[in-house]
Amino acid sequence: MQESLPDRRTRMTKVLSINKSPEDGLKELLRFLIENGKVKGVVALRKMGEYGAISYSLITNPGDIESTVPLFPLMPVNLAKQLSLLTLIEAATEPIAVVLRPCELRAFVELVKRTQGSLENILFISSTCGGVYPLEMAVEGNIGEHLPKYWKAVGQGELVANTRLACRACEYFVPYTADITVSLLGNKSIEKETTLFLNTEKGESIVEGISGKFSEGDLDTTTMEQIRSKRKAEKEKLSDEVELRNLGIDEITKTFSRCIGCRNCSKVCPACYCHVCFFETETSQHGPVYYERELDKKGCANMLSDTIFYHLVRLFHVSTSCTACGQCADVCPANIPLWAISLKMGEAVQKAFNYLPGKNIEEGLPITTFVPEEFAGIV
Amino acid sequence: MSTNLKGALLPAEGGAQKGIINFAKQALKQGVFDAVLIPSRVPAGDSFAYFLIRNEAVLEGASPLSPIMPVQGARVISSITRRGKGNNRIAAIMRPCEARATIELAKLGQVDLENITIITIDCPGVIPLSDYFRDAGKGDKVFEDASQNWNSEPMRPVCRICDKFSSVGAEDLHIGIMGAKSGSILLVPHNPKGEDILNKMGLSLEGDVNDWEASVNKLTEERKQKRNQSNQALRSDIAGIDRLVETFSACINCHNCMRVCPICYCRQCHFDSDKMKFSFEDYLTRAEARGGLMVPTDTLLFHIGRMLHMSLSCVSCGMCEDACPMAIPVAQVFTLVGDRNQGEFDYVPGRSVDEPLPLTTFEEEEFLEVEQSYAGVSARQENQND
Repeated sequence: MQESLPDRRTRMTKVLSINKSPEDGLKELLRFLIENGKVKGVVALRKMGEYGAISYSLITNPGDIESTVPLFPLMPVNLAKQLSLLTLIEAATEPIAVVLRPCELRAFVELVKRTQGSLENILFISSTCGGVYPLEMAVEGNIGEHLPKYWKAVGQGELVANTRLACRACEYFVPYTADITVSLLGNKSIEKETTLFLNTEKGESIVEGISGKFSEGDLDTTTMEQIRSKRKAEKEKLSDEVELRNLGIDEITKTFSRCIGCRNCSKVCPACYCHVCFFETETSQHGPVYYERELDKKGCANMLSDTIFYHLVRLFHVSTSCTACGQCADVCPANIPLWAISLKMGEAVQKAFNYLPGKNIEEGLPITTFVPEEFAGIV
Repeated sequence: MSTNLKGALLPAEGGAQKGIINFAKQALKQGVFDAVLIPSRVPAGDSFAYFLIRNEAVLEGASPLSPIMPVQGARVISSITRRGKGNNRIAAIMRPCEARATIELAKLGQVDLENITIITIDCPGVIPLSDYFRDAGKGDKVFEDASQNWNSEPMRPVCRICDKFSSVGAEDLHIGIMGAKSGSILLVPHNPKGEDILNKMGLSLEGDVNDWEASVNKLTEERKQKRNQSNQALRSDIAGIDRLVETFSACINCHNCMRVCPICYCRQCHFDSDKMKFSFEDYLTRAEARGGLMVPTDTLLFHIGRMLHMSLSCVSCGMCEDACPMAIPVAQVFTLVGDRNQGEFDYVPGRSVDEPLPLTTFEEEEFLEVEQSYAGVSARQENQND
């Protein structure tokens, strides 16, 4: 997909610099927002107790900001799904600030298009994203050891070793609709300085009164394109490794043969928003007659045979909105490279509709937007 | 285990697995069953699934002693019979914990046992899915080596402390592979249905069960001790609200433990329902009251709710723990709680299909001490009010 990176050429973007590392600078911003009543609460990653588990948390007390780790390279849940839960019944009644990754933000925009949440009253803070480590690494508990290497690679705009494969292959590391973007990737001064791009009027006005240096500027397009080329090359390489060049029926059958039918990929997927999945309804359950017919026909019945059907239907349903966050692959008990399959499928479908999920809230969903002339060749 | 068991010896020259398959083939050939439900390697070769098999040639490739448990067998039987018992007489060859969960599901109205014959096997345990799927070839080897020596070290943590790895009494027929004279397996019927199978197949109950029983009893005792020790150790790790919160603090609320659990049969879990969706105002109020609200919300409530619902029927199969992306020791925690709860009611899930579920059986005299302590509390409160 040849979607361009966010372009703000119409005018230079306001930039706020804070004399601290990005994590501390961001915490200062969050504290400032709560203390000055600019927002009522903040949603950010937080260290839960001594045990060290990292989870998103809704925080209203400025004193609790210290325990947040807003840029910690882990995605315990895709926040889009949680923001949908928070704003499903009603939009945020008070202003809140949310720190999330570009793919989470895009996924949330998609959910809002599908009326599963509301953008209202939310200040979106995102970053040029270096990716996250797999959940497996959180389980092993050694992400801490990797952090120095992580930040070094991010500052230099290099691929970060051992991050999620989906992240290593991600081309959309620059957020599209964030009010504020923290410049991380390829930002050589991230050790001592927080650079915040104030992309929207909301972003500009909300930081008024904070102590820091204001200027104007833009993300360095050349650096971003260089990083993008590296990611693209890595994507090609990883696709080869998971042997997904030709997704024919044989490859699909083989790839999904390990599936245990738990459907956890759908449960954690921000694009899978159905309250009751078709595959969990009575309609999709077989009766004894089905098994008798299978036995008559083939002499045997694989009790996990519907899993491929499930995956194909799921891919079909989510492909226009998949932001390739990789959460599905991370939670798969059978280690199926779901990220690569979703990515490949998503890219193809999104390209066909010239649509990038979550890029623009105004852009209608391909499936709900009827264009009479479209796909004339097929019709 | 009852002491006057009788068994039939069946030659198994190529090992226990071959013996079990031959037995199933014979049974099919002689029309004792219409189909056999049995774990088999999937065509791609790197995993296993339950197959319902009528064709004897297909049965040849079955793996009753599969190294992993990708799906709990009780769920499979439920999906076959929940909508009707059907016309096929099916022999389900499964592990003891799967059989026990099947019995529990029958009591819960999710399984129809009429056309099902439950056949259990002495179980060496299964290796965790994550270990297996890292390298299936290596997993096969590890399992084969360990299972031959009844070494439970590479198995699921709850398999290592399983004291119900053999006959549980609720099955129709048990296949003893432990200590059985080499080159044979032992078929032990547990009820007239099981005896009838052996009769039809012309197998007489003249096999010596003593060796097998002795080996089973010895390992059972060892495992009981291990289980107690493990429960005690875990208890000191997780008891108390702070430690409990910590234990589940990595939970990402995916509910996969619930979805793979054979006992969690609700079509719609309360914790996935609209009842658990609240207004923004509500979330904000909770965040303000508690100094922060973990998002996802209500994770611990989910685990405690699930525990309350299913711990009396929990068979400690370990599916939940295998399916947890955050490696929370769910199965070990539920084993600890399950053992204690089940003990209170002197109930062993899956022991007997005739034994009613504790919560459906009201006994006026039970738990008087609990009642009295409450009576004491309310009497004290009344005194204070006076």
